[in-house]
Amino acid sequence: MIDDALATFLQQGLGINLGTRDAALEPHAAYVPAARVEPGGTHLTVFVPAIGADEVLADLADNGQAAVVFARPEDDRACQVKGVFEAAAPAGEADRAFVEAQYAGFMHQLAIIGTAGEHLRAWTAWPCVAVRLRVTALFSQTPGPDAGAPLS
Amino acid sequence: MSVPLHTLTSCFQGLIPATLYTCAADGTPNAAYLSHVEYVDDRHIALSFQFFNKSRRNVAENPRAVVRVVDPDTQQGWELRLRFTRSETAGPLFDRMALRIEAIASYCGMKGVFKLLAADVYEVVAVRKVPEEPGQPALVERRTPDAVFTMRALQDLSQRIDHADGLEPLIDAILQGLDDIFGFTHSSILLPGEQPGTLVTIATHGYAENGAGAEARFGEGIAGLVAEAMKPIRIAGLMRGMLYAYASHVRAKERGWCPPERRVSVPGLENPESQLGVPLVVRGELVGVLCIESEIPYRFHEDDRATIELLGSYLAIAIQNAVLRESRDDDTADEVVAAPPAATAAATRAARELTFYRSDECVLIDGEYLIRGLPAKVLWKLLSAHQAEGRTDFTNRELRLDKSLQLPAYKDNLETRLLLLRRRLEQKCPDIRLVPSGRGRFQLALAAPVALAERP
Repeated sequence: MIDDALATFLQQGLGINLGTRDAALEPHAAYVPAARVEPGGTHLTVFVPAIGADEVLADLADNGQAAVVFARPEDDRACQVKGVFEAAAPAGEADRAFVEAQYAGFMHQLAIIGTAGEHLRAWTAWPCVAVRLRVTALFSQTPGPDAGAPLS
Repeated sequence: MSVPLHTLTSCFQGLIPATLYTCAADGTPNAAYLSHVEYVDDRHIALSFQFFNKSRRNVAENPRAVVRVVDPDTQQGWELRLRFTRSETAGPLFDRMALRIEAIASYCGMKGVFKLLAADVYEVVAVRKVPEEPGQPALVERRTPDAVFTMRALQDLSQRIDHADGLEPLIDAILQGLDDIFGFTHSSILLPGEQPGTLVTIATHGYAENGAGAEARFGEGIAGLVAEAMKPIRIAGLMRGMLYAYASHVRAKERGWCPPERRVSVPGLENPESQLGVPLVVRGELVGVLCIESEIPYRFHEDDRATIELLGSYLAIAIQNAVLRESRDDDTADEVVAAPPAATAAATRAARELTFYRSDECVLIDGEYLIRGLPAKVLWKLLSAHQAEGRTDFTNRELRLDKSLQLPAYKDNLETRLLLLRRRLEQKCPDIRLVPSGRGRFQLALAAPVALAERP
């Protein structure tokens, strides 16, 4: 579903955020410092800092619906991955370098647009919960008239 | 609501992108980045609706939404739980948001393409700190940015203005004062041009060139938009906004929505982060526009809006008074102040060739454009009188009475045009100077011979 080119884009270190909803259709959100596309592109694992994961994990356990938005601050290229929850588990130390490398990539992006500073280092990126999603749809979200169009 | 929204206005400047979370009636969540969140009041925010998208369809079906913003000073994230309330397509809120978008769009040659369709107003039902971001509380303790527009600062500026004797010192005092007192290093003042719907730059501060004479049409660039709307524009996250607009522009162009690219070249910083445009208005009449820009992403406070409008009114009255005083002084005979000796043409210097094109009312110097309109006609009259009669001393009054200059009987703006001419000569031809020599008097000082030619 996610081809190689899109996988490369998604894993370069972007602004990533996870949206879920509860039974009353109330949205919840979590910051995502890193995401990994599995070979074949049918599944995506998003790493959610444990400190902010409670609400989204409760929602995912309840109804499984997830939306992940990726945006590159440098040029505002953005896309959204819709998915269905498969599993969640504490991320292991083996994932830590992967998460921190992507997080550093995002810091670099922020530096390009001139908003990076010492305070950004304060954002929590670890420990994380690894949330595995089955990809169900992809949409462009780059601002403009095509925002929201399905990605072929 | 435990956290008053007005304490979060730094978050609403677009410096760090916000995210919006909604949910369709069928239960599908949606997450999207936002260009801008607008503070409305302590219970409401507004989001710009520029293109039909999933978020907007969702809130029409299910009004529940969440927006997350980040404080650019502390990096503290905040989560606002929202209920979609209404869409506004007219009124002060819509106008304010539309003006900001138009200002950014004009930078990208997208004016009229990239525009606001509605201001979507949401009630904020809860505010909380985002849990996952403040990992090191010592670094993210809330810092309140220093207020810039304090009463003390305004008082300091007012004192400088009070000491300015005449239009030119006043304009310089305003721009220098904005730098010294407020830290605004780059600024300019534009006044209405001779042609309706135009502005002309009368003075600048902080730029490599003085920029006098640069023109802007109403509706183009920050100054033109301010003049058209007669409302201030504050843009703090200009670079973010431009990137966002540019991304839209690329997509719109691909769809054939855009005319051929025509980037409006606005004089100023290459990469401004913050811009402030202030209309200078007296009794509903536009006296001019003050533009301020900075490479620093300045955080405007919500309270600044009222102060900026007050500052604009004050500066407008000061400028208008200076113009009226100078034009009145022309009519009252004054003492001749000892003038600096007019420089005599140095025989050793190469002659400057000036050409006046009558049909265009335009003067070229050594083949390059110098000035046009009334300032051009005035310059030509002075140079011609100097060449024919050897005159160097002139009065504003004789210019005002000279029928060949065709000054309007009411509000001729002669003083501002003379200031413009003086500044333009400083920039393009320092060999020719107009040196004030008393109230309503000045001398023509030539540091090089001039050769004059007239063309139809």
